[in-house]
Amino acid sequence: MPNAFSNSEKIEAKRNILSVVVGYQEAVEIKASLAETGSDFSDQKWATANTIAKLHPKRLTLEVADIIKETASTKTFRLVSTGGALPPFQAGQYINLFVEIDGVHTARPYAISSSPSQRKHYDLTVKRVQNGFVTPFLLDHIKTGQQFLSTGPMGTFYHNPIFHGKDLVFLAGGSGIAPAISMLKNVLDSELNYKFHFIYASSYIDDVILIDELRTLAQQHDNFKLTEVISRPPAGFSGLTGHIESDLIQSLVGETSNKIFYVCGPTPFNEHCQMQLSNLAVEPRFVRIEANGPPKHPDQLNSWPESVGMEDEVTITVKGKGSFKAKVGEPLLNSLERNGYSAENACRSGECSLCRVKLVSGDVFNPPEAHLRVSDKQFGWIHSCVAFPTQDIEIIL
Amino acid sequence: MNQYDAVVIGAGNAGLTAATALQRGGRKILLLERHNIPGGCATSFVRGEYEFEVALHQLSGLGTEERPFIMRKIFDKLGVMDKVEFVQEHQLYRIVVPGEIDTTLPASWTGLRRQLQSEFPLEIEGIKRFMKLCETITIESFMMLPQARKANDQKMLEASCPNYVKYGMRSAKEVLDEHLEDEKLKTILAAYWCYIGLPPSQIPFTDLASMIYAYAAFKPWHIKGGSQAMSSALLESFMEAGGEVRFNCGAEKILTNGDKVRGVLTETGDEVTCSAVVSNASSIITYNELLDHDHAPTAVQEDFKSRRMGTSAFVIYMGLDCTPEDLGITSASNFICNTQDEEKVHEGMFTMNAPASGMLTCYNFDDPSFAPEGKSIVSLVCLQYGDVWNDIPEEQYAKTKYEFAEKLIDVIAQTFPKIRDYIEEAEVATPLTMMRYLNTPDGAIYGFKQNPQDSELFRDRIDAISGLYMAGCWNNMGGFQPTYMAGESTARAVLKQLKSDQQELENA
Repeated sequence: MPNAFSNSEKIEAKRNILSVVVGYQEAVEIKASLAETGSDFSDQKWATANTIAKLHPKRLTLEVADIIKETASTKTFRLVSTGGALPPFQAGQYINLFVEIDGVHTARPYAISSSPSQRKHYDLTVKRVQNGFVTPFLLDHIKTGQQFLSTGPMGTFYHNPIFHGKDLVFLAGGSGIAPAISMLKNVLDSELNYKFHFIYASSYIDDVILIDELRTLAQQHDNFKLTEVISRPPAGFSGLTGHIESDLIQSLVGETSNKIFYVCGPTPFNEHCQMQLSNLAVEPRFVRIEANGPPKHPDQLNSWPESVGMEDEVTITVKGKGSFKAKVGEPLLNSLERNGYSAENACRSGECSLCRVKLVSGDVFNPPEAHLRVSDKQFGWIHSCVAFPTQDIEIIL
Repeated sequence: MNQYDAVVIGAGNAGLTAATALQRGGRKILLLERHNIPGGCATSFVRGEYEFEVALHQLSGLGTEERPFIMRKIFDKLGVMDKVEFVQEHQLYRIVVPGEIDTTLPASWTGLRRQLQSEFPLEIEGIKRFMKLCETITIESFMMLPQARKANDQKMLEASCPNYVKYGMRSAKEVLDEHLEDEKLKTILAAYWCYIGLPPSQIPFTDLASMIYAYAAFKPWHIKGGSQAMSSALLESFMEAGGEVRFNCGAEKILTNGDKVRGVLTETGDEVTCSAVVSNASSIITYNELLDHDHAPTAVQEDFKSRRMGTSAFVIYMGLDCTPEDLGITSASNFICNTQDEEKVHEGMFTMNAPASGMLTCYNFDDPSFAPEGKSIVSLVCLQYGDVWNDIPEEQYAKTKYEFAEKLIDVIAQTFPKIRDYIEEAEVATPLTMMRYLNTPDGAIYGFKQNPQDSELFRDRIDAISGLYMAGCWNNMGGFQPTYMAGESTARAVLKQLKSDQQELENA
């Protein structure tokens, strides 16, 4: 008869022996009085999940409310929520937009270009990537009324008032305008007493995204300074030309100390700017660079294994689920998606770690973009979005 | 195929430990984890070139190789001792009350006594008696008390636990007051109250005593690669034994037949059958949301009513472009308090006012390899009840978070005035961040309030739903050692049930 005693009798039987302990009876009485005024927490049902969903929803359903043609290469998609209010974000953050193209389920992160001061919509300003997979689809095929799933706003590229100070310099190249204009509008809309100097590099004068709006804002606000630089100017162009070299930065911003530099653009632009800032002896802690996808040429990096070529073919085995052939030079997450597998993902640049998968056998190349934990390396966990399989591998999804 | 002996919900410390012990005990286990990585709060994250430890400040219970303590045995049994490396801290902590106290205690039982006696020569005898009491009551409450309770023998209790009988139910404050005079000395000795979350007047003396004794005698430890390394090692051991884990896959429902567990419905809509479920989620969410009953069982409701919500924490993770020496750090663990009055500090934890106390842990102080060369990794912590954050409008959240962070940095900067000059990375976690990643009501980090009534001495293992087990800080003490141990003991209970189920089947 193991259940001869009810629960409370069992407790009492055990507690009896404790009654010799000084203060035991008093403690029991306190417990009884706590029970009289306490709650069974049933009124808190779903409170935790609901509180979190307001700030960090796992998924948003977004509808294209408007499409604004910015330049020949670029459109802004104005997205509204089909459900409740959109969650707040910090200017500079992105959402990861899930798409289906020709039967392939994939996703791309896009920085929100609208101001965080309003939450009626998020703007995504998307520039065409030549030979890209997703941007041509978005620019050529998306119509108003269409719906997408996305993650909530994420990412660490934003103004952190704890150590970024109030003197902001933003170096943007091309589509790097998206987080820049959101950060700028945040400063202006919230009337923050920050200085914002925007050094904006574009290739062609007829493809400078949002330039009219920027020029207007620069005229209206004393704390916003705009510098335009064109790398491929037409004949007779009188503005600043060339690349953003350290001399130019120096002449534009003067003393670099106590300034925070944000860099966002294509990877070569980011690397170039980082180098120029380093030449000016700007300490790395004052330089914030937005992640920008997997490296395009991982084979040009130092630690790339010599005997392996980008076009070599390897076999990817997903434990218990199947296998397929893939090229060494294609990030693992992309080849998984093309072959009908899915892994959670968001930044697709090595940082957010959501696409982390376990490597059971074989080896991959982890570029510096892969911000792996010490223990990930020890136990074989990889960030599939920036992992290049240099051998036949087996993974667990 | 979707059939398991047990499903473990949540890969936090207790979930991982339970899953690993069960799988290695020969059972077929499915481990579900809503996040993409094992560990719960025993994890780390990377910003730039820094890897930040999320929650582990000082691992207790390990002991040295020469003088091992219980966690070494448990980790060995779980098959992870050869997978992780531990680093010993040589100080317990430095405690500073600006203008009043600045003392660093060594991680040595005799060294601790000598130092306290030399700093407080008028209290040589009191210190000796107090420390002796800490030692004996720890041994009594961990070794003899459970035996006496098992035997249900009061005479045995009186004979084997004389100190427990006298002091076991007294508050830490009462016992400090009885033995010691100098308020500074008491403040110094009570600093570990922060690891429990309630001021000395509200915590059982035994809890404070066992922390002081265990940390000093068996040392505080860090783990190479952070607590994530331990979480990953446990998972590795679990998988090596044949265990199956699903990440990004929480439990949606615990399925029952009446009052008996029959399976789990996963977030992805998969239904699996099992005869036992171990929940590493909070007991509130387990019974009020996951269980497929309209209401929690009466016994559970009754248990909840005498509980109170515990504290959360506010943390700033910082990567610093300087060495610990540059900053004046002389101990890995630092408590900095504006006041010696712990009650005042605790009252402040219910508000958004500037915290009266903060902690700084420097992870590369005892082992430079924990940070990039020439740099430092620190976390700044103050305890805070989470509900003050629930009412902040979403659009004010980021601003509020940074403003509060400045207040915490102000506390720490009293002792480390140059800290703001070296920040290279800084990530702020509020009680809502704890809530997001731990999925606990009000972002509680130690479970319910750890008052004397929260102790398992006043609680039975709730068996209202046959086959449903709780593992974690909501039915046991919070913190690393207690939750690892809770997972291990829960696994033993489940193995026992599975064995008896099997015997019943064979006999039928």
